Amino acid sequence: MAELTHTHHAILRGLVLFAATGVALARPAALAVAAPQVPLEYAVKASFLYKFAPFVYWPSGALAADGAFNICLSGENAFGSVLDQEVSHEAVNGRPIAVRRISSARDVPACHILFVGKSAHAKEMLQAAAGNPILTVTDRDRGEAGGIIEFILRSGRVRFAIDANAARANRLEISSKLLDIALSVSGR
Amino acid sequence: MSPLRALWLRVSTRRWFTPLAAVAAAIAMLAAATVLGIHNESVHRTEKFQQAQVQAEILAASLAAPLAFDDRAAADQYIAALRLDANVEAVAAYDVSGRRIAGVAQPGLGLPEEAKPAAPRIEGNDLVITVPVLQGGTRLGTVYLKTAMETWTRRAARYLGIALLVSMAALLIAVLGYSYASLSHAHRALREEIESRKSAEEQLRQAQKMEAMGQLTGGVAHDFNNLLMVASSGLDLMERTSDPAKRERLKDGIRQAVERGAKLTQQLLTFARRSPLHPEVIDIAERVRGMDAMLDRSLREDIIVRLDLAPELWPVEADPSQLEVAILNIALNARDAMADGGTITIVARNMPCALADRSDAVCLAISDTGAGLEPAMVEKVFEPFFTTKGVGHGTGLGLSQVYGFARASGGEVRFESELGKGSTVSLLMPRSLKPRPVTAAPATMPAVATSEERKVLLVEDDGNVADLVAQMLQELGFSVERSDSADAAIQHLRRTSDYDVVLSDMVMPGKLGGLDLAQEIRRGWPKLPVILMTGYSAAAASAANEGIRLLVKPYRIDALAREIDAALG
Repeated sequence: MAELTHTHHAILRGLVLFAATGVALARPAALAVAAPQVPLEYAVKASFLYKFAPFVYWPSGALAADGAFNICLSGENAFGSVLDQEVSHEAVNGRPIAVRRISSARDVPACHILFVGKSAHAKEMLQAAAGNPILTVTDRDRGEAGGIIEFILRSGRVRFAIDANAARANRLEISSKLLDIALSVSGR
Repeated sequence: MSPLRALWLRVSTRRWFTPLAAVAAAIAMLAAATVLGIHNESVHRTEKFQQAQVQAEILAASLAAPLAFDDRAAADQYIAALRLDANVEAVAAYDVSGRRIAGVAQPGLGLPEEAKPAAPRIEGNDLVITVPVLQGGTRLGTVYLKTAMETWTRRAARYLGIALLVSMAALLIAVLGYSYASLSHAHRALREEIESRKSAEEQLRQAQKMEAMGQLTGGVAHDFNNLLMVASSGLDLMERTSDPAKRERLKDGIRQAVERGAKLTQQLLTFARRSPLHPEVIDIAERVRGMDAMLDRSLREDIIVRLDLAPELWPVEADPSQLEVAILNIALNARDAMADGGTITIVARNMPCALADRSDAVCLAISDTGAGLEPAMVEKVFEPFFTTKGVGHGTGLGLSQVYGFARASGGEVRFESELGKGSTVSLLMPRSLKPRPVTAAPATMPAVATSEERKVLLVEDDGNVADLVAQMLQELGFSVERSDSADAAIQHLRRTSDYDVVLSDMVMPGKLGGLDLAQEIRRGWPKLPVILMTGYSAAAASAANEGIRLLVKPYRIDALAREIDAALG
């Protein structure tokens, strides 16, 4: 409970900060209407999740010419339906974005971005993705660690760290623009 | 000359032309500079546009990640970098929904709350550019860039330096033009001065010539007296005798005397002719021979002139009339040195390597057998106004003319004298390598009297001459009509013009002279040939220039016949 209270304080601090500086989140209107129950922190993470796509280059053949761009969510679903609504009008390299919730490592190869939430199979999922052209994302503070990109809360704001070695192992190329604003980049 | 060229010449020599042209050039330069400035301004504007566009696009690329992941610190950093550009008035980043994420503006300037990509636009003095932030085909936001276009004052300041330079250059052109104009004015004045000096020099030359000739007057009058004596006593004796052989002898004597007189007159007239200084290739021997009567008959009775002219003399280049004046001056000096008579010897020889620069020369040496000069005086003889003659007997300019002529022709003059034995003046003229002029041999056409009756209009004011010429013409088988002036002749021709030839004196009383008459006839009756006659050599020269046939008085009947035959073709 104490932890929860701390968390809430952190979110509140973040909100105050946002308001004070006048920086708005992406699509606040959609957020306000569709997901009042999803905390702002997760709404931000959800929007980050698909915005990674333009800064990451998948090896040729990894993206099917006419298929969808798959963002897979596994484990605890913290995003609610926010992500589904966010990506409904978006595209990656002209491909529509599909949000899939998976529970088995068998479904991993079809993913392009894999968010591994807190679950018993988390390690299994990450292992399944290792070596494949899949951008794994984890939430260090509120669930699993070990993804290529890890969300980190810093001063009440959502930031991220990048494991460049893991990205290389998965044959992914990450834009220097993204690396530039990462909190930390390991194995660069 | 084309009318355009004539106009150019007329206009370009005006005094106002050069400064005006300079001012026009300066104005043209200013206009060109203005046009260039305007063009530069437009190029500058386009470049400024492109520059701002590029700036905005670079910023957009840098801002992709900060905008996507809401990293305001990074966005601020990138935007702050642009603030260093003084021209950037405001710059901001907006997210994909159009809300401002970060931005800065110069003091006193606001930022729009929302912005979407749009075409570049000008707001007042500012250029506003909005470009989308794109990453991998995904639009992540908008960059807004407001950059100041140059203000009028800054632009003016930028062009002020150039404008100043151009104005100075224009001013310089105008000043140069003005000074050129005054220079060319001075140049014209100088040329006029030179012209007047030239004419003064020509008058001086003529004066020297006349002075030399003036010294002949006594001798010439004496000679003529002798000739007249021969003629009149010959006529007296002819009247008293009826012996045909004797009459024939007397006639020959008279004729010889008249011919000698004619030759002398001719040479004197030729010598006195006013002629411009004009060096030509001449044969010295020929020139000396052309003066023989003048030298032999008019110096003095007790002086013998001996000519010793080598054949095949090299040609020399000199002004012929100046050469003649020089020869006469030397001869006159020689005459005056021989108060009791003597011999003047004129020797002409080729002398290889005779000149100071080892070049070939023709030497014309004139020696006398007179008193000679003391050695101390020898070196003074060529000085102007040096004379050994008494007052009223010479100006002392004779030998200085000889010296001046020799120097002007590139030659030398030497003077040797031995007291009591005589003096020698040697004129060394440089050999000319130009070809010798071809002297036309006088045509020797036989005088053929025509059997058919032909008509001659004789125009002559002197009754005696007219009678004699009319008799000669009748001898040749012509019928003669006479007019005593050119005006009368033209009136006569208007009435009847069925003449075969017109024979006219040149110098006559009345409005028109012989030359005018010839020109009038050429216009009015182009098929009617005209022959002019004169004893006056200046008139003869002008007739020759006009290409009109000429008989030089006095002439003999066969010369008259030849000329008429030639005129009738």
